[in-house]
Amino acid sequence: MPMKGRFPILRTLEYLQKGEVVFKKSVKIMTVNYNTHGDLSEGARKFVFFNIPQIQYKNPWVQIMMFKNMTPSPFLRFYLDDGEQVLVDVEGKDHKEITNHVKTILGKSDKVLEAEALAKMELSNPANFGPKKYFLRECISEVEGQVPHPGFVPLPKEMTGKYKAKLAANSDE
Amino acid sequence: MSTRQASVHAKWIIGQVIGTKMKKTAKVRVTRLVLDPYLLKYYNKRKTYFAHDPLEQCTVGDVVLLKALPEKRSKHVNHELSEIVYKVGQVVDPLTGKRVAGKHYLEPLTESTEDTELSLTEKLEQLNITASTPPSTS
Repeated sequence: MPMKGRFPILRTLEYLQKGEVVFKKSVKIMTVNYNTHGDLSEGARKFVFFNIPQIQYKNPWVQIMMFKNMTPSPFLRFYLDDGEQVLVDVEGKDHKEITNHVKTILGKSDKVLEAEALAKMELSNPANFGPKKYFLRECISEVEGQVPHPGFVPLPKEMTGKYKAKLAANSDE
Repeated sequence: MSTRQASVHAKWIIGQVIGTKMKKTAKVRVTRLVLDPYLLKYYNKRKTYFAHDPLEQCTVGDVVLLKALPEKRSKHVNHELSEIVYKVGQVVDPLTGKRVAGKHYLEPLTESTEDTELSLTEKLEQLNITASTPPSTS
């Protein structure tokens, strides 16, 4: 079944997770003012179409609002936690330039992101066993090459407890 | 417990004013982008907040920045008006500082140095255009 729409790739989880911009903790609101017609707003329109879903996916607690055709020139405005406002002029820029600029001024740098990912990995050790919600595997029997659960595949006779008990009883006599 | 938790999760909010019929309170509609789980597309989800506006300076349609109050003011009012971002009908372009309406500026961008006192006729006289004599018919 084909995907519907102009750019259906924008509606895949893979695309959303590839977003690069992760805002710093102090950014609370992002506002985009752009125009629906005109060459100068072209970059801003593309930014809203292609990059805003990625940004919102990576920053679910940031409020993003779009305003159309309010001012002649397009711009972005960020409202930080301490009341500070950051104004970014976007007139004539390409959408990639805009994302890079936003990433450098208000995004977490690559090093910080890597350190966070590492810390997250350390918390969850893939070698541990437990409930499916928290760990990869519940029992050693789930691993390929290990003895499977007798519920799925009956054990060979020599490994069953009753055979071993019978052997032990026979050898004792 | 004498102290309750800091009132709301949202410390700073931006929204549009939808009602000002209450005394010193503005009803603000805030839209957030929410991902539809099946379509994987973002849609605006609305929520109304009440904000304390002591000077009653909001009109319906303003875009307004709200700040969370440290303590709840009443059962529903948890925010106060921090600043009016775009006043309806009097939007000011933050880049130039001039008043703006849609795609054009209401105030001229540069101060004009021309004399606006001269009327159109005087300007035409200055140009010295004289009617040329019609060619004589032979």
